[in-house]
This record gives sequence, structure tokens and C-alpha cells, in this order.
Amino acid sequence: MYGIFMECWDIFKQYGGNGYLLALFVASLIYLLIAEKDNRKRLVIAVAPLMVLVGFFIPLTRKVYVRVLSDGGDTYYRLMWLIPIGACIAYAGCKLFMNHKRIGLVAVSAAIILCGSLVYKNENMFKAENAYHIPQLVVKICDVIRPEETEPRVRAVFPSELLQYVRQYDTNILMPYGRDIIHWNYYNAVHEAFENTEVINAEELLEATRQAQCRYIVMHESKKIDVPLEEMGLTLVDNVEGYNIYEDAEYVQ
Amino acid sequence: MVVLSALALILWLFIVPMGMGLLIQKILPTTKKTIGINFLCGYLLSFAVFEVIAIWCMIRIQYGAFHKCTIVFASIEGILAIAGYASKIWEIQREYDKNSNLFYLFFPGDERSKPEALMSPRTDVRVMKFQYTRESLLYWGIFFLIVLFQLYKAVTMAPFDGDDSYYVVESLLAQQADVMNTILPYTGSSTALDIRHAMAVFPLWIAFIAKMSGIHATIVSHTIMPLLIIPMVYLIYLEMGRILLGVRQDMIPVYMIFISVFTMFGNTSIYTPETFLMMRTWQGKAMVANFVIPFVIWLFLWMFDDCRKPGFLWKEETAGGLRIVRNSTWLLLFFLNMAAGIMSSMGIIFGTALAGLFSFLLLIYTRDFRIIPKALLSVIPTGVYLLIYTSL
Repeated sequence: MYGIFMECWDIFKQYGGNGYLLALFVASLIYLLIAEKDNRKRLVIAVAPLMVLVGFFIPLTRKVYVRVLSDGGDTYYRLMWLIPIGACIAYAGCKLFMNHKRIGLVAVSAAIILCGSLVYKNENMFKAENAYHIPQLVVKICDVIRPEETEPRVRAVFPSELLQYVRQYDTNILMPYGRDIIHWNYYNAVHEAFENTEVINAEELLEATRQAQCRYIVMHESKKIDVPLEEMGLTLVDNVEGYNIYEDAEYVQ
Repeated sequence: MVVLSALALILWLFIVPMGMGLLIQKILPTTKKTIGINFLCGYLLSFAVFEVIAIWCMIRIQYGAFHKCTIVFASIEGILAIAGYASKIWEIQREYDKNSNLFYLFFPGDERSKPEALMSPRTDVRVMKFQYTRESLLYWGIFFLIVLFQLYKAVTMAPFDGDDSYYVVESLLAQQADVMNTILPYTGSSTALDIRHAMAVFPLWIAFIAKMSGIHATIVSHTIMPLLIIPMVYLIYLEMGRILLGVRQDMIPVYMIFISVFTMFGNTSIYTPETFLMMRTWQGKAMVANFVIPFVIWLFLWMFDDCRKPGFLWKEETAGGLRIVRNSTWLLLFFLNMAAGIMSSMGIIFGTALAGLFSFLLLIYTRDFRIIPKALLSVIPTGVYLLIYTSL
């Protein structure tokens, strides 16, 4: 039981990040439990969140959650979503500074800003290159290989850094493996020959891509390969920002 | 083409939901007949209707399922919206003929209180519309600037999220290949219906908007959806604030500034609702955390607020104390449970669990045992959903 409790504690810490906003929330919660005189509001904005918070740390809750939900082990943190942390802090701030609006506005905003972390500074936040919000490089590559409306769909091999964007642009481009391979790490012959090796064995790669009926191979020019693909009979269709696009004339879908 | 797409977006994202909201508005108390609540109710109804149609089409139709789903859903949405507007216009006409209220508004809840009501010590604060001071208006201005900044950032910044290769592609597949979850988004190969994801049809609702507007589903997801969803989330928090702050309505803009700042700075980890809202706005999970859960909290704040003894203007507010008006929150909760299902299968369980907790607290507080059947009736969609989920 203690072990499960510590798991919950770790998840709670991970959820909170630096922990300052959670501390601000706990302070707000305690304040609301004491200062809110209207029981109806207190029950919704303070007592219920407290019950959820306590429930979160009870090992039985985690046991049931993991048993009921298939991915329960990974998503237990979502129980914290049931607590309106933002509304608690905002309401406590308003209540505390009800008669000192200006001071309250500055103090609470500053507390949130200092305790929190700006979403736009997140390392996964990038400047949008187009309205699709996918790298323009992917758009350019896909524009080269995408079939016309009357043509059949094509299958292409992409390096892992581009995998997730391709089909967000055009679903007529099929792939022998998708981004899920990074997460699930399942076996795929093309992936083995293309990604899981320092120097690509061209013969092995072509055997796998032809088996998977791939018409195109997109490969960065810096990627090492024992025999150039042109010598293996493929045509270099284009080079887009360092990515070579090869077409396998032997297999046209 | 761009103009037509923009007009289609306005039609399907604003005009139609507003019309549908007018249908629900009929059963709301006067103070809740506001533009914001009308808009939220319209979406609630839209999501609920889509849930039924999409799941039925997905399970029953083998080929061209999404095309048929689009036709049926567009027709029903259109009919409901027209019915909403028609009934409202008819209602206004009737009032006009009676000459009873020439200043009748589409949204009477937004009407300012009469001076005598404001002065009366017996006035129910729920019918009091606040006249903001210049200072409060300035705070509103700051809040709107923050929201505008967030919307600007939502359009110009592109968060990286791996799950998009599933959810966004699912929307795009529906738009480009007319399928509903029968092609594996990652690779494009055919697949059996993955029920865990399939029941959560929010990506298909986005695909519907994409199809009706002729805009690429990825653009709709990444660029258009934040412009709709972020303000919609603030609308829910605003309604929560109205109840929480009671007579101190002048504090609402300050409260909203705190909420908006918290939303921007709540990115303390990848797990927080704020991170989901700002970085994966278009995913059902983000909607569960930021739309469904706050909506449940707001509904129960409203229920707790209403459970006191009827006060001054109670009859006027509840249209003569009609049962349907007094129980409108439970009906909204019913629709919310339906809507939660389209966001994620987990969302419907979370929404119901939270509603269960609040119902229990409400029961203890009021000792009114009629809450039990009402709460049970409102979670019927969850039961049906789980039944389908486990039987497929």
C-alpha cells in the first residue's frame, strides 16, 4: 500500500512540475475552506476538490483505476483534471483582495506568473511555418510525391523525424510504418533496414521496400548507405532541403 | 473560395449552434438566457446529436460512411437550428402582439435590470445585471487583450504533439477518404474498428466542419479550432465566476484575468489541463479537461445556487416555477454526458464520476431525495455508451 501511495505521490509531483502552482493551489484551497462562508460554494469549489485530492492519494483509487482502464497506469494523472485548480486560485485571489482590487490584480497575477511556466516557452512550441502547422519541408516533399486525383495512392518510406507529419498533409501517401513504431517499437522489415542500422544495406532495404510496395524512399543525404540507390536502379526525383527523394521504377503502385 | 469557406465556418460554427441553443434556451431560467450560455448550449446539443449519428453511421454503414454521416448530421443540425430561430421569432412576435414587452430581446438574460430592481433590497442577485464602472471596463479590456494574444499565438505557433499523427489524420481521412475509423491513421492500411478510439468521434466532428467549409482538416484542427475552443472554455469559466462572485460582479473581469493568466502559465508539466488546452486544443482529451469538467462544475454551482429557498423574482425567473425550467440543469447534464462521449471514452467516465460526487454532496446539503432519480436519469447516456463500448 505504501508503495502505491508513493507512486501516486510521484505522479502528483510530475503533474505539478516545479510544484509552486500546486502549492499556490493548496494554499487557495485551505483559504477557501476557511474563508468561504457560503456552504454551497464551499462544497463545490473547495470540499469537492479536496475530496478528489484525497481520493487521488488513496491506493485503492489507483488500484481500481488501473484495473478498469486499459492504459490506467499511464493516465492516472488525469484524475487531477477533476480539480478546478485555476478556478480555485482565481476565486481565492478575488475573495482575498475583494476590497483591494488593484493590489489583488497585481499580486495574484504576479504569483501565478512567478509560480507557473509560460506555455509559449515550452520546448515543443515552434513558430508555425504554414496554416497546417506542420514543417514546410514536409509539405514540399509531399507535393513532389503525392498522387494526382485520378492516380492511385503511393507508399513512401520517410525518416523518423518526418513520420508524424506526412499523413497530416495528405492521406493518399501511405507508409510502411508510422509514428506508432517509435512508441510501440514493433518489428517492421523496412524500419529495420532503414532506421535500425548505422550504414544502410541497400540490397536489404530494397528487398524490404519492394515487399512493402513502396514507390518512394525519402532519405537525408547525410545518411550512410553502402551502395547509392541510383546504382540500384532507383531514380533521384528531387532533393528538398537535403532530403533525397528516390523513386523505384520497378514498383509503381 | 476563401470567402465561401469563411462564410461556411461562420454558418456552422456560430449561426447553426446559436440556433440550436435557442431551442434549449426555452427551458432555461431568464437569467441564464444569455448569448454566452445560448452558445454553449448550442454546442452541447450539437455534440450530443453528433455522438448519436456518428456512432450509428460508423457501426452500421460500411462504405462512404462519413459522407452519409455528414449529410444526416448537417440536415438535423440545420433543422434544429431553423426550429430554434423560428420558435424564437414566433415567441417574439407573440410578445409583440400582446404588446407586453416591446423591448423583448433574443437573450433576455443579458437585459439590464430596471432601476427599481437594482434599488430594492429584496432583489435576487441572479436577476441583477451589473453596470460596470470605468475601472471594471478597463479590466475587461485587459482580459480581452490577453485572450486576443492567446488566439494570435494559437494561430502563429505550432506545438509539436505526436498524438496528432493519429487524431488529426483521423479527421483528414474522414474528409479525404470518407471513412470513419476503418483506416489506420499511422500507415494508411485498412484496420478493424478500434473501439477504444472509435467511440470518441470528436476528430470526426472536426472533419465535418472541414468538409462543410472545404478547408483541409489539418488546418481546421490546428488553426481554426483554437479560435473557437479557447473562447468557449473562457465562457464556461465566466459563468462559474458569475455564480461564485455573486453580488460582487465587478470582480468578474479580475477573476477572468486570473483565469486567462493561469491558462497561459499553467504549463508546469505536460499533464495539466492548461497544457492540453494550449498545445493540443483540437484533441478530445483537451476538451475533456477544459470543456466537460468545467461544464460539470458550472452546472453544479448553478444547482447549488438554485437549491436555496425561492426568493424575490423566483417565479419570473423560472417562468412561473415550471418543472422543466427548475430541472433544466439536469437536462443540460444529460446532454453534457452525451457530449462527453464524443471527446474521449475516458471523458464520459470522468464527467459522470464528478457529477456523481457533486450529486452526493448536493443530496447531503439539501436532503432532497428527488436528486437521486434526477442524477440517475442524467447519466443514462453514460450507461448506453459503456454498454456499446463493452459489447463491440
